[in-house]
Amino acid sequence: MMPHEEYSIVRYYLNKIVIAGLVTIAILWVITPFVIAIAYAFTDPDQYYSISVVFPTSFTADHVKMLLALGADKAIMNSIIVAVLTIIFSFALGLPAGYAFARYTFKGKDSLKLFIIGLRMFPIMVIAVPLVTLYLRLGLNDTLLGVALAHTSMALPFVILITSSIIAGIPKELEEAAMVFGLDRKGAFIHVTMPLALPGLTAAAIFTFLMSWNEVFIASVLTLTNRTLTAFILNTAMAAVDFIKFAGAFIIIFPAMIFVFIARRYLISMWGITLR
Amino acid sequence: MTKLLNKPSLFEKYTPYLLILPALTYLLFFIGIPIAQAIYLAFTEKGAFSTENLDYLLNSPFSMFKEALKYTFLLAITIIPIQVAIALGLAMLFNIKFPGRNAALYLVILPLTISDVAAGLIWYSMLSSYGFLNKLLINMGLISQPIYFFGYQYRNMEFLAIVLTEVWRATAIVFVILFAGLQMISQEHIEAAEVFGANVWQRLRYIVFPMLLPSLQAALIIRTLFALQIFGVVWILAGRDIPVLAGEAYYEQVFLKHTGVAAIYALIIAGISVAVGALYIKLFKAKYLEAGT
Amino acid sequence: MSEALTKLQALIIAIIVIAAIGGGVAWYYMQQPKGVKIIWASTQLVPAQEQAFVKDTLLKEFTEETGIEVEFVPISYEDLATRLQSEEEAGKVTISVIGELHGGIDYFASQGWLEDLSKFGTLPDRTFPQVLEDYSRLHGIKAYIPWMTATYVMVVNKKAFDYLPEGLTEDDVIHGTSKWTYDALLAWAKKLYEETGGPKLGFPAGPNGLFVRFLHGYLYPAFTGAQVKNFNSDDAVALWEYLKNLWQYVHPSSTTWDAMADPLLKEEVWIAWDHTARIKDAIVQKPDQFVVVPVPAGPKGRGFILVIAGLAIPKGAPDQDAAWKLIEYLTRPETQVKVLENVGFFPTVKEASAKITSGPLKVLADGVNNQLNTPDALVALIPSLGAKGGDFKNVYITAFQRIVLNNEDIKTVLDELAPQLLSLFEETGAPLPPPDSMSG
Repeated sequence: MMPHEEYSIVRYYLNKIVIAGLVTIAILWVITPFVIAIAYAFTDPDQYYSISVVFPTSFTADHVKMLLALGADKAIMNSIIVAVLTIIFSFALGLPAGYAFARYTFKGKDSLKLFIIGLRMFPIMVIAVPLVTLYLRLGLNDTLLGVALAHTSMALPFVILITSSIIAGIPKELEEAAMVFGLDRKGAFIHVTMPLALPGLTAAAIFTFLMSWNEVFIASVLTLTNRTLTAFILNTAMAAVDFIKFAGAFIIIFPAMIFVFIARRYLISMWGITLR
Repeated sequence: MTKLLNKPSLFEKYTPYLLILPALTYLLFFIGIPIAQAIYLAFTEKGAFSTENLDYLLNSPFSMFKEALKYTFLLAITIIPIQVAIALGLAMLFNIKFPGRNAALYLVILPLTISDVAAGLIWYSMLSSYGFLNKLLINMGLISQPIYFFGYQYRNMEFLAIVLTEVWRATAIVFVILFAGLQMISQEHIEAAEVFGANVWQRLRYIVFPMLLPSLQAALIIRTLFALQIFGVVWILAGRDIPVLAGEAYYEQVFLKHTGVAAIYALIIAGISVAVGALYIKLFKAKYLEAGT
Repeated sequence: MSEALTKLQALIIAIIVIAAIGGGVAWYYMQQPKGVKIIWASTQLVPAQEQAFVKDTLLKEFTEETGIEVEFVPISYEDLATRLQSEEEAGKVTISVIGELHGGIDYFASQGWLEDLSKFGTLPDRTFPQVLEDYSRLHGIKAYIPWMTATYVMVVNKKAFDYLPEGLTEDDVIHGTSKWTYDALLAWAKKLYEETGGPKLGFPAGPNGLFVRFLHGYLYPAFTGAQVKNFNSDDAVALWEYLKNLWQYVHPSSTTWDAMADPLLKEEVWIAWDHTARIKDAIVQKPDQFVVVPVPAGPKGRGFILVIAGLAIPKGAPDQDAAWKLIEYLTRPETQVKVLENVGFFPTVKEASAKITSGPLKVLADGVNNQLNTPDALVALIPSLGAKGGDFKNVYITAFQRIVLNNEDIKTVLDELAPQLLSLFEETGAPLPPPDSMSG
């Protein structure tokens, strides 16, 4: 033990106070804008526009209700459909590719991987505009399927990289053991690797969901009547007054917050696995 | 390394390619075709090769290309170091075990949920001349006239507002990546160093940083690519007072219908992104890309 | 279960499915010819909420009354022009009614794609203002029936009247007398700035704001008598000198504002100029706090933009009687009031105003009316340049940025931009918009 015990006790508590202080500052910095935005989504307009009222005391759900009545309810459904389709497509295509990168050594592997990451580097805007022309020809314009296909192209490189890292993190030997006991490769994957990879894959799916949920540029360009939520808010609420915008922000943020809450632990471990 | 089967059959040999093929085909179709089309749009006029769009970009009195290039880089080199510094500090802080850490962790990563447009809107209203901040300061008697953050005459303040918003919104992703990396450094390494008398700085310098390098690289690549595409936040907070590359692409496309010029902007962003990505990979010896082998 | 039975079952199921589909299709087609169904293609009322209003309220009532089904097709100007051209050239017209702005209809009429509506006679119980009657006669025909109007006005917080400059009264401003000039506005803004400690005048000069309309449709006609023609004249130099002067008293955040309702409600500004639809929310929130007033006048008159949307019938359109019935319905005073209440476009028939008696809409309608009826009114229409419309606006925005914000030499900038502006009209072959085409 240290010679100066009293000194170290003081230091111990000082440390605690400093840590508590820093954590408090970090949390306040992050959540203050959230709290204000959510509060303003429900604030009485009179108080919102009054210079002397800093912290609102009178609340109403009218703004959110009004947005829902204007079509946000349908837009939420559209957003969910698009996001779920995006997850299905990007995993159906990305999981096999990720598995191949994780479990096989083959010629041109690194260049292929680099190429796929390279594709993701291209700005969304390059893709969106020519896509409209392509979609008009394919009859996919203004359809949810069309948006989901575009979002899939955005999410797919990410899904491939993440799944390959996740699968690589699961010992190959387990799969081999299963194959020794008579399962074929597919069976070994489904019965052994998949269950172990599931938490990471769930996190990746939620990340994909958020990516699609928050994407606004492609969705606004590709849809007209079948707007997703962000596109709907951008095109409907932007010209409206402030409290309607806050109500819009609230409708977008709230479901996302719940998803992050559910997946908070996996979201971090997912990156951990990726970096291994 | 043990081989899976003693002698791979011809089919097994092609399996990885077959597994990758659908994804690759998809990406080539949905990203490759648009890119080819963008190049076509950028450099042709009525079916023939033309540099008219490039000319417009560089020489037209309407083009804000040079300013946009300047501000895009300026924003990137201001925002990214701040984000990395804060995220690193936070990651170390959260690496210490303290009561309520899980709850605090959730709150700190909340900005992951928010899109740039929503973040821009929230901060615009917080900082506007009778927004939350000014109302608070006025009612506390600290100022009598509002602090102006927005307007062409206040471009420095607009720049500050953009930096604040971006730091608030996108530090979380850097933090999550660095924190995940930090958690994988085994405590034993650090304790061993402690036993041998290494002080805090030495521990950081010789143990933590080298092991954190792959995470840092991943975080830097992701953040830089998105910083080069910065658009929503700037568009809402500063309009075209502070032009940026992606914003000009949007303006040319949506407002002026100059599809060719917009395509050149997009290609320029893509070109810079690829160059910067390659630079990072070289600098950090590409460990991140070899992950999983 | 034996295989044969399965096959038989499959056959039966197949027959049932085919029969069901066939029956369904037959049933669907039998439902069809019950009433007339016409297509109404419109470049207006395209935003989602407005579409919902058209489909769920406006057209539902029309169908209940007449039995005529209307398919409302929201469409962009470019798409409409392309589609109309191909339909007219192929001689197979499907669109029965077109809803478009004056400029677009002007182009359609010049191409000979529209019916002369005078063959349907006049509409009963409604009078259109003379200016609208005049404008709707294009290329020798009655090209359209005026459907809706919109304009840009000034909104004044009543508090600002306490700071009126010498020689200007509240009544001058509200009724737009000859004393309500741009110089008076400058004096007022200056006084407000000095006595309240901050700028109190604002414009929507943000990236999605409509400030550019103030430049080409308000200041230019008021100072030079034209929107385009005198772009770099001496009068125009005087205009930009005035604007630079005025800008000292304009709220600096103006360059980030897209709509003025919020700055007005937060009292960041007390005087604002914007499109009627974009200040409506402020007036609905606090109808007693604000007055809508005509814009000031300049040396050449009181320039302001009138946005006119009209209804036209394509040449050779199907079911023209039904189309005319739809037009009759849409221009009824009570329908027009409903449009004003729901989507904020103003009526084109005089009888409609009488049906608005009080409330926020009355405040708005009065202001718009006062502006239309000022004796020195100089109406400007937005030119129809199609895809080049963005370039047109960009010329004025660039001039503003360089002269007022960047402090560059006025004459140099204007001389540099003027050829770019004129080339837009040469390239598209579009006529110069009023008032340029009116004066000599």
